[in-house]
Amino acid sequence: MKQPLSLHINDEIHELNLAPNKTLLEVLREELDLTGTKEVCLLGSCGACTVLVDNRPMLSCATLAVACKDKKITTIEGVKDGNDLHPLQQSFVEKGAVQCGYCTPGMILSGKALLDENPNPTKAEAAEAIAGNLCRCTGYAQIIDAIVSAPEIADSKSTKTQHETLAGTLDSGPYLMPETGE
Amino acid sequence: MQPLPNFQYLEPETIHEAAKLLMDSGTQSMVISGGTDMLPSMRQGIFSPDVVISLQAIPHLRDVEWDDTEGLKIGPLATLRSLETNAEILQHFPVIAEAAHAVGSPQLREMATVGGNICLDTRCYYYNQSENWQACDQECLKLGGETCKAAPSGRAKKCFAVFSADLAPVLVALDARITLLSARGERHVDLREFYTGDGAAPHVKAPDEILTSVLVPKQMAGIFGVYQKYRIRNSIDYPIAGVALTLRLNGPDKSAKKLVKDVCLVISGVASKPLVVKKIPPLLNGKALDDALIEEAALLAKKAALPLANTGGERAHRKQMIYEFTKKAFEQAINNGSQIS
Repeated sequence: MKQPLSLHINDEIHELNLAPNKTLLEVLREELDLTGTKEVCLLGSCGACTVLVDNRPMLSCATLAVACKDKKITTIEGVKDGNDLHPLQQSFVEKGAVQCGYCTPGMILSGKALLDENPNPTKAEAAEAIAGNLCRCTGYAQIIDAIVSAPEIADSKSTKTQHETLAGTLDSGPYLMPETGE
Repeated sequence: MQPLPNFQYLEPETIHEAAKLLMDSGTQSMVISGGTDMLPSMRQGIFSPDVVISLQAIPHLRDVEWDDTEGLKIGPLATLRSLETNAEILQHFPVIAEAAHAVGSPQLREMATVGGNICLDTRCYYYNQSENWQACDQECLKLGGETCKAAPSGRAKKCFAVFSADLAPVLVALDARITLLSARGERHVDLREFYTGDGAAPHVKAPDEILTSVLVPKQMAGIFGVYQKYRIRNSIDYPIAGVALTLRLNGPDKSAKKLVKDVCLVISGVASKPLVVKKIPPLLNGKALDDALIEEAALLAKKAALPLANTGGERAHRKQMIYEFTKKAFEQAINNGSQIS
């Protein structure tokens, strides 16, 4: 039996009508078209479906959507900084931390949860933070590198922005921006 | 995607309301806390409750507090992650934080709860499988069939599914006591007595009972504790051999040899319950630890372990790991001896 439910996702409120057996993963992908969150094992083992619930990394495949009604959910679609990539996303691009890309959204959210709590993590701390995210391309070295390098990118980005503002340029910066079509 | 079966979802706001709902909705209802074990099992058709009762709206079930007269009180909905960083736990029982940290992955520890860890269902290669997989052969005993497929004979009338929690063996070693509440009343059970050793019905909690609190007695504070875990993938898996050790080392003065007191060794992942190695306390209490005694204790632990080929790892290897971890745990206790009394 469906019941009304409002979910707070990426700073937007979504009014939905859902059966209680829907997982958060199903709602994100199938009801809201937020397909950045990936479905893989559905058994809580792989971490591809990781989202942030009240800023903590959790598995959306093992979370009932109805249990999230008073919680703040962040998916990969909500990580970017305005029209810019989040420094961690930028770092993934620069360090070549993406191969097939299937684990990437989960990796970035686990990494973001770490960086929000610990702005200058060591490689060991980064490895521990992504311990629940499997990468079957096995590109862990680049992923860990990207996480520990993100603070540097955030710093250079803020310096750059200041500099550009002073110089009066509105250039979007040297970053590799994906074509958004907007 | 194989969807979860349909169910009615209820979120009571008091524990008594939850107990009444659980009683009224009969045996086809289940309580959910973290959901990390329950939801994957529901997806595999292992559990199919008509009613799912969540405890998350009930206040204070996540609380962890130190009580000067009784000891450490842990709410059943406290997440494993919250135990890792709790100041009272780090002060009085750091081994609880250590064991909580050994569970699963960071995401699982953010979600999984103490109550869920204690009431964890036993696991087995023949049981934790999809419905299609299960349909290929006769049902195993735990799924309602006649015999246990994991038993060496393949024909046992007893279920040998494995109890594979990390925190529960440590809580058993710390002599924890739990409170179970139902619409019929409340009772306290020593965690050591909670587990049956029967893989098909691993604990004595009745279907209408809810675990409402965990108490680690004050007398245990400051005891030395260590948890050693062996698993296939260090980042995520269940233990396939685990050793929890608690003990005190007391000496009349700093120079004298320290004597063992209150020792308890519990092994996990190698039986259908967290197994207390009962021969350890008579062997060690009142004696000074030396290599020969530690060797004897490690052999006792190895002998008590009964791993079967129904989870990861090879049987003889898992038994040997219990031996190695027991030795390592006692060595750690000796190395920490200068800091404990």
